[in-house]
Amino acid sequence: MQKLAILVTRLSSWVLSKMGRGGSMPGRLGIKIAPDCLNHLKFGGPVILVTGTNGKTSTANMVSDLMEEAGYKVVTNRKGDNLRVGITSTLLSHCSLSGRVKADAAVLEVDELNMKYIVPALPVTAIVVNNFFRDQLDRAGEMERIIDTIESVLPDYQGDLILNGNDPNVVRLAMAAPNARKIYFGAAKNASTVEHSAEAAEGKFCPKCGSRLEYDFYQYSHIGQFHCSSCDFATPKLDVCPDEIDLDAHTFRYDGHVYPMASDGLYSLYNCAAVLAAARSAGVDPKLAEKVFARAERPAGRNERFEKAGRDCILNLVKNPTGANEVMKVIEKDPAKKTIVIVLNDNAQDGRDISWIYDTVFEKLMDDSTEEIICTGTRAWDMALRIYYGGFTGKIRPEESMEAAVHEALQAPHVYAVATYTALLPTRNTIVKEMGL
Amino acid sequence: MRVCWMYHDIMDLYGDKGNMLVLSKRCKDRGIPFELDTCGIGEEKDLSSYDLLFFGGGADKEQLSLIPDLLSRKENIAKAIDEKTFVLLICGGYQMFGKYYVAADGSKIECLGFYDYRTETGAEGSRCIGNIVIDAQLDDLHTKMVGFENHGGQTVGVDHPLGKVLYGCGNSFDAGWEGFYDGKVLGTYLHGPLLPKNPKIADFVITKALQKKDPGFQMSDLQPLDDTLENSAREALFKRFEIEGDK
Repeated sequence: MQKLAILVTRLSSWVLSKMGRGGSMPGRLGIKIAPDCLNHLKFGGPVILVTGTNGKTSTANMVSDLMEEAGYKVVTNRKGDNLRVGITSTLLSHCSLSGRVKADAAVLEVDELNMKYIVPALPVTAIVVNNFFRDQLDRAGEMERIIDTIESVLPDYQGDLILNGNDPNVVRLAMAAPNARKIYFGAAKNASTVEHSAEAAEGKFCPKCGSRLEYDFYQYSHIGQFHCSSCDFATPKLDVCPDEIDLDAHTFRYDGHVYPMASDGLYSLYNCAAVLAAARSAGVDPKLAEKVFARAERPAGRNERFEKAGRDCILNLVKNPTGANEVMKVIEKDPAKKTIVIVLNDNAQDGRDISWIYDTVFEKLMDDSTEEIICTGTRAWDMALRIYYGGFTGKIRPEESMEAAVHEALQAPHVYAVATYTALLPTRNTIVKEMGL
Repeated sequence: MRVCWMYHDIMDLYGDKGNMLVLSKRCKDRGIPFELDTCGIGEEKDLSSYDLLFFGGGADKEQLSLIPDLLSRKENIAKAIDEKTFVLLICGGYQMFGKYYVAADGSKIECLGFYDYRTETGAEGSRCIGNIVIDAQLDDLHTKMVGFENHGGQTVGVDHPLGKVLYGCGNSFDAGWEGFYDGKVLGTYLHGPLLPKNPKIADFVITKALQKKDPGFQMSDLQPLDDTLENSAREALFKRFEIEGDK
């Protein structure tokens, strides 16, 4: 059955690719034919998994580039198809009929809830965990459950566990993995480090004893240097800790060498630190990452700027309070007069529950430089209510049609557009069309 | 109006803080002084001195840490209710006023026991998750309430439900009924948060709270506000679920 599963998956992937398509259908067929098809694959080198709430795709892509830079032939699910079926599609369409994966290394982005299938099935050599935040709570129940499912596959795991040492919910995984070698990454204090934070929703209590956690400093959200007020749970000694972080010049130093940051913001720096820790784990020269960071593609809708004839529009994706708060900070820093359009959808991939907009500090947008906030998307009215109850005194305009909302917004010379996951591409397309780009 | 938000740093899941924004703005816009206080574990507070106590929902594990403190305040909370402090409970807070709740890991947590209802856990970790609309009756106020529910807990034995479920689950899978209301305490699973899209409920809560000091105060004594945004948000969802709106 294994051979048949591989054959069918490869064939259907090939057909789809000829049609210019990809997707999870081939993997779904493969699993149907041989449910344990992943278990019998043979790998000739490192198998690196990347998981966590924010930054999985960027990090996995950079780790993959790094391994290629180091001379490995890499198989990877670059398009971010990170569920079991997607990963099965990727691997089975890149292996021989005998089940040998035709690559020297595998780098796989894995959805948090799918780790329980992937870790026991593959000869995993390293797991990178970026962070855990409230995200799509209605899909997963609570963050606690996500962490529990990952912990459940760690007791037998013997590879490297590459953990964000500044996230207490990530550090706790180490306790569930007695046989793993732990490598911790983090970041040193810098210009945006603060001593107190009101945003740290997930880092209040010690996962070991339940007492209150105390922070020496916060980087953003609950990411920072922490210790338990009554037991020994604390930020561990960091194996990879970039310092001399310059957020304006987009550079940082690690092990005496200066690197460019892959993108704006401290959360991007943590992705870079994760990549450097993965280099250390795989025995690859970290300096190779310099090129990787410098040419890292800025994904669509991450501070993406559109400009024409003295007008500009900056587009950002928001998908949970933590990411959204970082976007709010960037907009808040801009003192120029602006119009803001927010596209809030509540489709499955956005999260059906939109209560996260109340955990996001939209108040940061509410100063004199914001002239108008236009709210649209499938939850246009909810978004408008959030802005209204946030106390915004400028003009609030609800508009059910996204196209009309973007059109209205772009009458202003300086616009910020903020969109949830399923709204991102339609909004981007509308901006491009409206601006005549 | 003096409000105490109980365990605000623990019981603030799913944007429950939005409820406080709404109460604050709807009071201030009418010139009603509004004061929001909080009470954490170990803090000495006389809860009977407030007009309104608010409990939100919390994550299972974190919620557990406040139970001993909560139980130590049982007499004080009973006194507050006796002395007409109104109580608004969402999700976890709602469960804690019953006999017990069973956590996701199966352990049974003794609660305040003010009411006979109790909360079992969903079979095999199943949860009631999704948009919800109920037809609620609160004293003389008859209105639809709209929100989002996300709970594993299955609350049974509720003798005074808040309303009839028109869309969604309610107190448990296929319960048909949602929440609890007995004139003194309002408990519900509705997040969303609850109050932004339910302005009448917000005004009802404000009225109940003001009645502590002014027993004759009526909802009709509240200065009307422009609820165009609120009503449009409600109508958009009623339309989506093919439910007839409030008239």
